[in-house]
Amino acid sequence: MMHSKRKDRHRWRKFKSALVSFGTFAAAVSVIAPLGLVFFHLLVNGASSVNWDFFTQLPKPVGSPGGGMVNAIVGSLELLVLASVVGIPIGVLGGVYLAEYGSARGNSMLRFLADVLNGVPSITWGVVVYGLVVLRFKGFSAYAGGLALGIIMVPLILRTTEEVILLVPNGYREASLALGIARWKTIVHVVMKTASKGIITGILLALARIGGETAPLLFTAFGNRFWNHDLSQPVAALPLQIFTYAIAPYDDWHRQAWAGALVLVIGIFCVNVLVRILTRERARTTA
Amino acid sequence: MTNLSMSTSDPIVLETRERGTETVPDTEEVPLTFRIKNLSIWYGEKRAINDVTLDISANAVTSIIGPSGCGKSTLLRSLNRMHELVPGTRIEGAVLLLGENLYALDVDPATVRRRVGMVFQKSNPFPTMSIGENVTIGLRLNGVRDQKFLNERLEKSLRMAALWDEVKDDLHKPGTSLSGGQQQRLCIARALAVEPEVILMDEPCSALDPIATAKIEELIHDLKAQYTIVIVTHNMQQAGRVSDYTAFLYLGRLVEFGPTTKIFTNPSDPQTEDYITGRFG
Amino acid sequence: MTPSKHTLGSFDEGLTALRNNVLMMAGLADRALDRAIKGLLQRDDNLCATAIADDEEIDQLEKQIDKEGVDVLLRFQPLASDLRRVVAAMKLSPNVERIGDQATNIARRARKLNRHPALREIEIIVPIQAHAMAMFKDAIDAFAREDVDLGRAVVARDKDLDYMNKLANRTLTDQMAQDPKQLRGYLNLIFISRSLERVGDHATNIAEEAVYAAAAEDIRHQAAAAAT
Repeated sequence: MMHSKRKDRHRWRKFKSALVSFGTFAAAVSVIAPLGLVFFHLLVNGASSVNWDFFTQLPKPVGSPGGGMVNAIVGSLELLVLASVVGIPIGVLGGVYLAEYGSARGNSMLRFLADVLNGVPSITWGVVVYGLVVLRFKGFSAYAGGLALGIIMVPLILRTTEEVILLVPNGYREASLALGIARWKTIVHVVMKTASKGIITGILLALARIGGETAPLLFTAFGNRFWNHDLSQPVAALPLQIFTYAIAPYDDWHRQAWAGALVLVIGIFCVNVLVRILTRERARTTA
Repeated sequence: MTNLSMSTSDPIVLETRERGTETVPDTEEVPLTFRIKNLSIWYGEKRAINDVTLDISANAVTSIIGPSGCGKSTLLRSLNRMHELVPGTRIEGAVLLLGENLYALDVDPATVRRRVGMVFQKSNPFPTMSIGENVTIGLRLNGVRDQKFLNERLEKSLRMAALWDEVKDDLHKPGTSLSGGQQQRLCIARALAVEPEVILMDEPCSALDPIATAKIEELIHDLKAQYTIVIVTHNMQQAGRVSDYTAFLYLGRLVEFGPTTKIFTNPSDPQTEDYITGRFG
Repeated sequence: MTPSKHTLGSFDEGLTALRNNVLMMAGLADRALDRAIKGLLQRDDNLCATAIADDEEIDQLEKQIDKEGVDVLLRFQPLASDLRRVVAAMKLSPNVERIGDQATNIARRARKLNRHPALREIEIIVPIQAHAMAMFKDAIDAFAREDVDLGRAVVARDKDLDYMNKLANRTLTDQMAQDPKQLRGYLNLIFISRSLERVGDHATNIAEEAVYAAAAEDIRHQAAAAAT
């Protein structure tokens, strides 16, 4: 009698355990599924339009078939470089300051502000830079676009930099200072060097994030259908181009938009894979 | 090999390097590296070091012993101003290194630390650098560029740390690829490279196995011919093996100080006796 | 004499066991000596036999003390007063063992003397025995109670014992000349007196170790240096 009761309880426990396992599996799948769907859709719709022309040709006028988005791709890269000029120095140095200097109270205030800035919608930055730069200099420009994207980068890089620097064991700082090496040299040559992989990872993640930003560029870089090598003039960017093409009434442009979206997603995906490779290497050397 | 002698009118003090024939010199005749005078250190409100006066002899090993929390590490770190890394420290009294007060207002802590080196409990070779880069970093970051000079100093320091033969073909390998005991000797070589006058050691062997410990103790014995060494240890047998003088600290106060053989065979203070024989707590 | 206990209980146990063995060994030697002399004075061969029998236990204790001493040194690496006590115990135990041997020697000679008619001169032994045994008792006491002054006092009394032995020698040698028939008897008495003088020497050694254990002072060979 007792033996079968125990068997029943055991079976019920096994069932509950299986139920929870399945439930968590289903939840994980439902998170990954949209990503899979997106990729699938992009591939189906855009793969056919991604060709050599796409990467080498300028957009053709309305009505003419073919053409590419080479100016948008180059423009996006230019904007990333400009954004980095703003975002990387301020973000990294800010992160170093929070980790190494400052007071406990002041620093927690700064961290709070950085988190707030992180949450500000990106289109807001577009409007702010529009007012500060575009109106002032009476024109859209790559500079304005880069500035807007750079501002978005700052809190991202700042927080990741601070985190990795705090992870550097204190023993290294002490060892360096005990050799009579000045504080700032210790921070640059020992601490930051040790945290370098982490800092670079943070920068790459920030670049991946802003690479796809569209809204802040609407009123700053504005977009351009032609080549532009003057950074004080409007410049094309891949997300902008996708936006313009997608809402237009031309089929040909729709196909190009799909292709652009596919290329953008693949680019961001590649950056993320690169980050994974770097972090895995780091895990191996510290193990 | 005689290390020290005075003029014929003064008593001659001999420090021989051969083991077993060492005579412990009379402290009045031996030159002193450090004179610690009425030192008190506060961390905020807490008084960690309470009116300590102590003389550290040159070319000898002085050990600081005492139960946990008695202030040994704080006292050690005050000798190269490393205790200042903790915010909110206050100091009274003086620490004279060969006559100069380390805590005078115009003294730069970094200069002090170049003269008084430190080796820590957990060995910490810089992970992003090779063995060679680790040893020379103190010189390079203080402006030395001459590659030939750096290489010479690299070899000299590694030889002094009894590590040269083991790593001379692997200088480009990362510092962290060495064993625990080797890493600690690497840290010692790194400290020696900047040619300090004093080497401070904060429980240098507590993370090492007995053989690695023995190698480091042998190294300490060899180094004291040229350097003054101050070592903090909670291992009394090690203090007995390695040091010439021992200071017993309790609750921030210096309870007793004297030649190691006296402290360990016949201490004057009953507290010292109780701690050493394991009757504490 | 240190009031508090070691944090490590087995350390205390080791030291106590060592001390107890030393005291037990000393007690046995003292009793053997007492029996041997009584055997002589009361012409009792049984007492002599028991005195000789005790010697084996004394020898075993000497080995035991050495073993325990090394064990304590090995396991606990004692320092300061603990170290001195262990070293002193190991160094004084051979002296106690020799005292036991002297008791055996005395007992053997007593048996020889008991086969012949009693000699009047046996009485010479009494004060010598008393002095030697008092020195031995006090030396062990000095060790047990860590009494430095007592230890020093014992060392000072050795020259008295030496003098008493010299005197006894002269008296007995004169008697040997006067009464050659009892030569063997007198010779045995001379040997017994010398044994007691040796007991005094060993007691002196024990007292010197007691002073070292208690005060970390090495008072050996001072009398010799002072004499030269």
